[in-house]
Amino acid sequence: MNPLLPFLMAGDPSLEALPGLLSAAKALGLEAVELGLPHSDPIADGPVLQAAAHRAIQRGATPLRVLQSLAGITDSPDVVLFTYLNPLLQLGAAELKRLLAPTPVRALLVVDLPFGEEPAFEAELRAAGYPMVPLLAPTTTLDRARQLLAERPDPGEEAPFAQRFAYVVARLGVTGTGQGLDLKPVAARVADLLSLTSRPLAVGFGLSDPRSLTAVRRLGATPVIGSALVQELAKGLGLREALAARLVDDL
Amino acid sequence: MTLGFTLPDRFGSQALGGCYAPETLVQPLLDLEAAFRSALMDPAYMAELKAELRHFVGRPTPLTPAPRLAAQLGLKALFLKREDLTHTGAHKINNALAQALLARRMGKHEIIAETGAGQHGVATAAACARLGLSCTVYMGVTDMARQAPNVARMRLFGAKVEPVEAGQGTLKEAVNEALRAWAARCDRAHYILGSALGPHPFPTLVRTFQTVIGEEARAQILEQAGGLPEVVIACAGGGSNGLGLLVPFLGDRLQRIAVEAGGHGPDLGEHAARLDGGRMGVLHGCKTLLLQDDHGHTAETASISAGLDYPALGPELAALILDGKVEVRRASDEEALSGARLLCQAEGILPALESSHALALLPTLAAEGAATVLLGLSGRGDKDLSTYQSRSGL
Ligand SMILES: Cc1ncc(COP(=O)(O)O)c(C=O)c1O
Repeated sequence: MNPLLPFLMAGDPSLEALPGLLSAAKALGLEAVELGLPHSDPIADGPVLQAAAHRAIQRGATPLRVLQSLAGITDSPDVVLFTYLNPLLQLGAAELKRLLAPTPVRALLVVDLPFGEEPAFEAELRAAGYPMVPLLAPTTTLDRARQLLAERPDPGEEAPFAQRFAYVVARLGVTGTGQGLDLKPVAARVADLLSLTSRPLAVGFGLSDPRSLTAVRRLGATPVIGSALVQELAKGLGLREALAARLVDDL
Repeated sequence: MTLGFTLPDRFGSQALGGCYAPETLVQPLLDLEAAFRSALMDPAYMAELKAELRHFVGRPTPLTPAPRLAAQLGLKALFLKREDLTHTGAHKINNALAQALLARRMGKHEIIAETGAGQHGVATAAACARLGLSCTVYMGVTDMARQAPNVARMRLFGAKVEPVEAGQGTLKEAVNEALRAWAARCDRAHYILGSALGPHPFPTLVRTFQTVIGEEARAQILEQAGGLPEVVIACAGGGSNGLGLLVPFLGDRLQRIAVEAGGHGPDLGEHAARLDGGRMGVLHGCKTLLLQDDHGHTAETASISAGLDYPALGPELAALILDGKVEVRRASDEEALSGARLLCQAEGILPALESSHALALLPTLAAEGAATVLLGLSGRGDKDLSTYQSRSGL
């Protein structure tokens, strides 16, 4: 099982720091990282990632420059591009595929694109090797979860984690550092979902301490660490140090 | 497979609208659509709504002839649909009250709202006080400063006003924050969106609750003028008063006009005219005409009126415009101020800055040969006194 899915905000602390962070993630043996494409209106993000996106945009981390800075990078885990829809729509599927081709991006997590809203766009990207990660929220009924997992299907066991996993949203609300996230409902949720699917699950939103990361791993899922990590990285720490600082004691 | 909505969720030949919401909000939006459909078919809900609109809101609002202003401009006749005379002073209460009743019917006793000009916030706060619901309103800090009287009103009605510091501190950021708050509390809270925008079913819900404006106005003008006007005109922020007034006239042979905020210049960032420089994009859950930069980031906007200072046009109004059923014009900050002055001096009515954008077009319409004009006076200008004072040297 992939032990951790770290979230990085592209352009924060800087685009120049990105290759080093990706390389460090690979050295830690991680199979994938989520990379946030900074957006002007991140409606699913809490204060930490909003501020990080804002800093990144101020420093010129446009979608184009982010993707160009990923071109040619091979010393990296698979990258899951975490983004809002509008910047992708403005590029268009053809240009987006062209930009993604030389990068380690293997899947897209588009926060505000429910399945079925842009069917042609999504199908074209999937066909090119960029499937959309299914998101399962606390409000997603099991019926709807079943439907979502079928609509954004598991490409099969040979496919890498980045293209197979489903993202389980641990709590209502937005991304952020959670104080005392109640893991009981998460445990019940993961158990229900594991009865529906054999694909890997990642659990994120509000995980910010070693205890909750360990608890998620015990459930058989990969914990996502986002806001807490971005806070540490913004101080200028390397990935290993940032993770060690307060987050992960057992990598 | 689609999301499973029942009502049409796309508008016009370019399929604007849709439901581009984070997964957490999809089920609440499905539930909202179901509750909305069942409420519309429930005689008890409809009767209560009708009674509240009459006794609390003060509907029907008058259709006021404005003969002195008409004569001054060279129009044969001018009629004003007086949403400024509703309780709380703008059309926003029609939707806020209907949604508050809907929330209570859904068993949701917490209300979240965003506001720009503060009129939707005040209307929602008033409806919540009346129905015994708790109310939190998100408002950008820039708007809080320029619409201070409305902040005080909301607080008097017992609402919590949450300042939003991000970005320009205007309506767009307030909607961002309200959507985030709703995602965190969607198990117990209902989000009363104030304009005909956002993810499905909001645009349809808001338009449905606002068409009372045009339905009344159409019957009133037929009775008072003995026929239809040549022009029906309203201002457009997100588009709720515009759709509310114009939709009931869609089957008629007349000119339908929506007026956007021209701000203080033609460049991106200087105005909120989505038809001039807006491109198709997705913001706040719907696909529509959007002011944005080359990277798909939302552009800054500017307008003297907080209620029109928003980068996206509601999807249904955008579709009607793109499909040629509604015409779009713009009025600058200065023109809006002149429009307000015209009405104040000729008729003794103080319009909201938003509505003044529609008034600003009257001289042009007269010059184009319009005879009879019906204008949506969406709100009153008390909230804008300080702007009028500082900008008109009163
Ligand atoms: C008086 C008034 N008119 C118009 C508007 C613009 O909104 P909409 O286009 O939804 O009617 C507002 C919004 O705050 C308002 O307060």
